Order: sequence, then C-alpha cells, then structure tokens
Amino acid sequence: MDRAHIRNFAIIAHIDHGKSTLSDRLLELTGALSQREMQEQVLDAMDLERERGITIKAHAVRMKYMAQDGQEYQLNLIDTPGHVDFSYEVSRSLASCEGALLIVDASQGVEAQTLANAYLAINNGLEIIPVINKIDLPSADIPRVKEMIEQTVGLDTKGAILVSAKTGLGVPDVLEAIVKRLPPPKGSPDSHLQALIFDSWFDPYRGVIVLTRLFHGTLRKGTRIRLWSNGKTFDVEALGVLTPKPVEIDELVAGEVGFMVANLKNVADTKIGDTITDDARPAIEPLPGFEELKSMVFAGLYTVDAHEHTALREALEKLRLNDSSFFFEPESSAALGFGFRCGFLGLLHMEIIQERLEREFNLDLITTAPGVRYSVTKTDGERIEVDNPSRWPSQSEIARIEEPVILAMILTNEEYVGGILKLVEEKRGKQKNFEYVTANRVMLSYELPLNEIVLDFYDRLKSISRGYASLDYHLAGQWESPMVKLDILVAGEPVDALSIIVHRDFAYDRGRALVSKMRELIPRQMFEVAIQASIGAKIIARETVHAIRKNVLAKCYGGDISRKRKLLEKQKAGKKRMKRIGKVDIPQEAFLAVLKVGENA
Amino acid sequence: MPLGIYISVPFCRSKCTYCNFASGVFSNTHMGHYVDRICTDIVKIRKVATDHRAVAPDPVDSIYLGGGTPSLLPPDQLTRLFAAIAQQFNIAPQAEITVECAPGTLTEPIVQSLVACGVNRVSLGVQSFIDKEAASVARLHTREKTLADIERLRSAGIRNINLDLIAGLPHQTRASWNESLQQAIATGVPHLSVYILEVDEDSRLGRELIAGGTKYHAHFVPEDDLTAEFYETACTWLNANGAQQYEISNFARRGFESQHNLKYWTRQPYLGFGVDAHSMLPATEGAESVRLATTDSFEHFFVEAEIKAVRVSAAEALEESFFLGLRLNRGVHLDQLHEQFGPELNRYKPIITELAGEGLLLQTGNVLQLTPRGRLLSNEVFEKFIQEPASTVLSR
Repeated sequence: MDRAHIRNFAIIAHIDHGKSTLSDRLLELTGALSQREMQEQVLDAMDLERERGITIKAHAVRMKYMAQDGQEYQLNLIDTPGHVDFSYEVSRSLASCEGALLIVDASQGVEAQTLANAYLAINNGLEIIPVINKIDLPSADIPRVKEMIEQTVGLDTKGAILVSAKTGLGVPDVLEAIVKRLPPPKGSPDSHLQALIFDSWFDPYRGVIVLTRLFHGTLRKGTRIRLWSNGKTFDVEALGVLTPKPVEIDELVAGEVGFMVANLKNVADTKIGDTITDDARPAIEPLPGFEELKSMVFAGLYTVDAHEHTALREALEKLRLNDSSFFFEPESSAALGFGFRCGFLGLLHMEIIQERLEREFNLDLITTAPGVRYSVTKTDGERIEVDNPSRWPSQSEIARIEEPVILAMILTNEEYVGGILKLVEEKRGKQKNFEYVTANRVMLSYELPLNEIVLDFYDRLKSISRGYASLDYHLAGQWESPMVKLDILVAGEPVDALSIIVHRDFAYDRGRALVSKMRELIPRQMFEVAIQASIGAKIIARETVHAIRKNVLAKCYGGDISRKRKLLEKQKAGKKRMKRIGKVDIPQEAFLAVLKVGENA
Repeated sequence: MPLGIYISVPFCRSKCTYCNFASGVFSNTHMGHYVDRICTDIVKIRKVATDHRAVAPDPVDSIYLGGGTPSLLPPDQLTRLFAAIAQQFNIAPQAEITVECAPGTLTEPIVQSLVACGVNRVSLGVQSFIDKEAASVARLHTREKTLADIERLRSAGIRNINLDLIAGLPHQTRASWNESLQQAIATGVPHLSVYILEVDEDSRLGRELIAGGTKYHAHFVPEDDLTAEFYETACTWLNANGAQQYEISNFARRGFESQHNLKYWTRQPYLGFGVDAHSMLPATEGAESVRLATTDSFEHFFVEAEIKAVRVSAAEALEESFFLGLRLNRGVHLDQLHEQFGPELNRYKPIITELAGEGLLLQTGNVLQLTPRGRLLSNEVFEKFIQEPASTVLSR
C-alpha cells in the first residue's frame, strides 16, 4: 500500500473512559471482526488485563477502511498501556504513530494520566483528535469537558468528535477524521532500514514476537537484521500483521506496522525503543528516544515453603521471557531463607508480577516491603546504591543520603484540595505549582520522595478524594534526606525481612504502628514474645504478645480418635504455613503488615 | 482382654449452640428405625471384625450410651437395645453401664427403665448450675431440675453419677464459675468432668466466635486467659475436695474413675454402634489395630449399611499411645511402650527432652506425665508426637 493511504494512530484515555470499547467498535465497523467474533474488549487479551480493565501490553491492529472518498485506507491502531508505571512503553508506542485519539469521558473530564500521555503525544509531534465519549450518559457535560481540554491540554476543541462508544453513536465520524485529519507516514521503502521495536513477547512455539513500526526501508522474510543496542543479528523468519488475528505477509515497508519473528529466544534482546536495521545495509544512526529501562521499586520475593524456592526461580525466569522490564537476583534473608531481590517499574508492575506468580504458577509468596534505590555517600567517600535495607550501612558510616524524587501531577476537584494538600505535605512533598484549570478543577504539581509513594499514597489519594483525583508522575532527580533504617525485633532477634528505610522524623510513629500491628498478627506462642522497633541499638517501641494459656481438646465423642488426630494434624499444618524465626512462628500476614501500617498513622 | 461397647444416640430435644457433634432433633419414628439399624449391626459386628482381621474380645465390662441425649429414647427402645447386646455378648457381672442424660429429662418411668436395663452409672450434662448460662447455650434445664434428677437417681439406687461442667460458657464470671463448682461439689457425686469450651467451625457458637459476631451470646464468652483460670480453679478445688484428677477433663473419688472412658485413653478394645460411631480392635496379629467406623451423616446412616475399616499402623498406634495416654495423670510408661513398639520409640527421645525442658512434660524414671501447665497446653504437646500428614504436601 502506498504511504498516502496509511494512518498510524494511538488512543489516549484514562482508565474506564472507554478506550477498549471504542477500539472494539472500530474493529467491528471496519469488519476486522464480526460482532459474533467480538469478545468484549478484544485487545485486552491477558486475564489480568481484562480483570483490572487496563492494558498492560501494547498491541497493534491493522484495519481496512473504505473511506467516504471511495478509497481504501490501512489503519493501524496501536494500543498503549494506560498506567504511569509503563510511561516509557507508552512513549515508544506513541513514537510509532503520526496521530492519536484523545478520549475524554463526557462526565469525568480530563484526568492526570490522560494529560500526561497527551503531553507525551504532543512532544512526539503527533496530531491529536479530541474524542468526547459517553455523551449518552445523563451526567454528560460537554461544554465543561471541552473547556477542560482547552485549558489543560491546550487543544482546540472545535473539531472534537462526540461519541458513545457503547451505542456506536458518532463512531463512523472517528474513522473519517482519522483519514482526513491525521497525516500519513513519511519515509521511503528504498532507504536504509530503520524499524522501531515498541513491544515484544515470548511465544512458546515461535520464540520472541516483535511488534515494530518501520520508519525507513523494507523488511522482508529472510532479511538478516541487526539490533542496534546489542549488535546481535537474526534472520527474519516471518512477518505479519494482526487483524487482530495474525496474518502472515511477505514484507513490511516504511510507514507500516506489523510483527516479526526472527528466531529470537530472549525478550531481553528485544528492548523496547531499540532500532532494527538491515545487517547488510545498516542505517547510519538509530531512531531517537531509546532508553534502558530502570527499576524504580524494589522488593524481596520469598516462598512460604522453602522447598518451593526452585519453583519460584523457574517461574521468574518464565515471566522474564515475556517481560524484560523487571529484574531479579538471588538474595537470602536470615528470616525468610533464600529468595529473590526484584526490581519493578512501579507498584502496579510489582503487583502484576506478584499476582501472576501466585495465579499462574500457584506459588505462596511473602513479599517484603517495597522500597526505592538510595545513593549513599559513605564517610570514606565511597558512593553506593542501596535498594535493600539489609545492605544499609551503619549510621556512623553514612555521610550523605540522596533519595529519588518524582514530580507528581494531581488533578482533582476543588473540594478535595484541602485533604490532598495535607496528604502531600505529610508525605514530604514540595509544591511546584497550584493551578485552577476550570472553575472547580485544580491541578497540583508536587515534588515528592518516591519512597513515600510506594507504600500507600495512591490508595490514600483515592480515599481522600473519593476517587475524584488522578495522579501521574515521572522521575525528577534526587534530594538529600536524613533516612534511617528501622529494624523490627521479634523475641530479641532482628527480622531482616521486616526492616524498612524511613525518614528520621517518621521513624518513631512508624515503629510504634508496626509493632502494634505485629502484636495483633503474631499468634500467642508458648512463651512471651517481645516485639520491638529499633534504630541502630536504640529501641523506640515495644509490644508484648503474651504466652498462650490454653490449648486443650475436650471430650472424646464415642472414642473417635481419628477426629482428635485430624485436629492435631490441622494445627501442625497451620504452623507449617507460618515462618519460624528463632522459636517464634510468624504468619505470612505479619510480613504484609509493613505494607499496611501508615494507612491510619 | 475385656471389651467396651459404645452406642451413639444422636437425638436431642434441642441442639446446644456449642455442640460440634452430629446430633439433632428427630421424631420418634426415626428413633425406632435407628434402634433397628443398631440391632442389625450388633448381630453382624463379629463377622465384620473377622473379615478385617480384627478381634472383638470377651467379656463386655463396660457399656456406654452417649449422645446426643440417650435418655430421650423411649423405655421400650432402651430395653430392645440392651436385650440385643445381651444376646450377642457376655456381659461381665461387675460391668459399668453408663447412660448420658440431659438434666430435666429423667422422669420416674425413664429412671425405672434405666434400672431395669441394668444401668448403674449416669452422666448428666449439667454444663453450668447458673440458669442464665445454661439457657444462653440452649440447655433446657435449671439448677432445681438437675438437683431433683440427682435425688431421683439416688432413690432408684444409681449413686455412681457424673456431672459435666463447661468452662468458658457465655456470661461466665469468676463468681459464677465458683458457684457452679461449689454446687457440683455439694451434690456429693463421685465423678465430675470439666471441659473447656471448644471453638471450631463445627458448632454454631464456634463459628460465631471465629467470625467475631454477637449471635449465640458469643460476645459474652470469657477471654481465653480467664477460661484457663477457671480450669485451674476447678483442678485445685476438686482435688481438694476428694475428686482426684485422673485425666485432663476428669475427676473422681477413688474407685469411681470411668472404666469405659479409660479404654479410650489406654487403647483398650471397644466397639461403637450408631451414627458416627467408632470401634478400636486389636489386629489378629502384630502391633497394628483396626478401627471401624460408620458414616457421620444421619441421612446416610439408614441407606449406607457398610461399616468402614481402617488399619492403624504400628507407628500410628505409637503416636496414639502418646497423645491419648498422656491425657491421663498417671501418664505413659515408656518401658511398656518400648516392649510394644520396639526401637521406634527412640525417635521421640529428643521431643520428650525438648518438651520436658519447656516444663510441659515431666519424666520420672520410665513414667512420662503432663505437668499442670502441659495439661492446659496439651494440644501443643500432642502435636509434637504426630507425624506430618502426607496430605499437607501440596501437589502442583
């Protein structure tokens, strides 16, 4: 197809604003799928995606569209993940497009994530078509939403398309606008090959499948390609497009989007944002914008049953086949035994990995408190990076600590501003901007330590604003902070897996909250158990779990010995599910307590 | 080696909230069918035992009708039951014959029929002498009725009476528990059982307690530590008043220990009949034993004639010897266990040392006993004596 008849576009939307529904309608209208074939929300194929209503992996679907001008167009819809953890992937998906649909819910208005992604799109030079969705809802307020789009995103909304993706109203206008208003791709099929990797995943039958956008040149079956970042070469075995069913084709040319199979075994080789070029006739330079992914959030993963350690390693290896954005390395904890230190893009990413491990691999996991990576300058001048509390130097060796800081953008209604300001101040935030974007809609920009975000920030923001606040953030450097390591001691023994790094001013409250939560969660044992919080050698809080007084079985109904045995076996099995530290049995929930305290602090 | 016979009578006028046993409220017609089925089983039990290479020895020196509420059985059904037993088994002249009775159900005709059947021991499920506490768990009697029942039994010649008390009932306080205990002692009965309320998913009250709710007076159940204190008070007072503790929950004047219940703790042979009834018999040879059991569902009981058998391995029998035998104050004799089970016993030496070190067990020569603290924490002790069940190793 000649380039003039190709349109590559993405859809930008906040969760639940209707991205998936609109995508489904587009597929339906262009005949890519019949209504009968439509499974609700075709693009969100992973179970987890469908349950959470979010898109984790990007997809690219090719549609054929006969426009009103009587000509056939090739429309490539590039679906993007919608969560802040995946903003780099989003930026690469956007870089593969010439235009984007900006969907805004007619009653909710613009949210922080929409805004962040819209800015990304603008920065990538994309043409944006505002689409106001859910106009059939009684609460729809189109003039207000238009005003918000103009105020916050800075787009002219005269050409905004009004639709109801649910009923299909206005959807044909969207297709026409894509053809008429979005520019066709540039680039020549004859120049040196430059293709952008914007997604990849592992298929057990075909190896790694790469989604790519060709900017220049032509990719053919049999071409020997080279990956720019690592110089590795591979032979192209198959090329194709998703319609959304995979259909193999012989070549992809500049301007097109499709998938490639090239005997790749490892997704870590196919880094998102990397450039594919022709090994025999390489391009002079790579496409711009490539970055190595950096983990932001770190936590230890352990199995409840020590015997499952190997199973956990195998599961992590399998997951990594499909997701090269998290890393893991063996670590050991005196309390929890052998496990893995894992790095994630963000909290959602961590939750997803954890859930997949438990669901798909049937593992019972203990996760230590998530933390961030600190730069610690020691008194001897050495500078180290610490993401694991167990590697925290002793206080006397530390000269200076810098912690990662994010710039958070929060959009909310005026009535919740008071509560949110209190929250961000409490979380050590520094105000950068405070702006009314409409009469009652406020945009706050704050610098916040990432450490304060990883525990419960998002949940508290949602509850303070009753759901009427949205958050987006990106890394914005580091600042110096007096952080300390807070240890928890059970029966006098420090439990390494419960240690956390906290700001000195919060250590006392956190310590108290933690030991009191632990006291509730640790069952009574045969002896009194002291639970203490300490900084270095100094104990800052203490609670006591009193010794158990009774555990007796009464009557033996009619000599039913097997019942007694079963009860004893059940009791024994219950203890086995706990982690024994020293002589104390600690249930799994106690390790999760670290994540939960602070909610009501 | 003599034999015990247990008959399960799962009928009640109303179900107590703490009850975790397969009992319920059923019609008289049901009772007739139920006794029919038991009589059939009594006739065939020896053949069942032989088929499973087990021995049911002679003579019978204890019979125990437990419940439910056996005293709800009409006199003619009670007579049929005892006649069926007498027809199939030799009953020793001094046999202990116990029937569990709910206070307030012992009318004169029932007491007369008990005597006529040869019953010489009655166990009364008093649970509490405080009417409010009894009523809160759906017991239907009062202190007055209980005392009248005791008198009626004595007049009829039944002086070997046991009273059950439960520590940890809703509304119980130190004062009320002391009052129940004092009243129990004042009756002068030679045997008392003190149970601690069991909290599990099998009773309505237990489920409510686990859920933290307020139904069945669950929020008036005393704290664990207080209940433990009640139990300790009972041990002290009863021992001081001549009812010596001989088992975790049982106290008796010398010579009045329950012969039937002792069979359970010492793994002596017994046969059980009725719904969810269990038998324990020695195997024809070797150290193994055989357990027989009927279904635990009342509905299935009439349609499912089969009596299921499980062989208890020597290793399991040894575990049982510990977790049952240690319930008795006299404890277990390690030399006897060694004689019976051989070097397998050595496996337990480190466990015994550890538990003795924690003050839960006391070893004096060859005798191993629970300490008073060990009795209150006996499940923690017993747990150590059982192997992990294979089923906890999860398959993937």
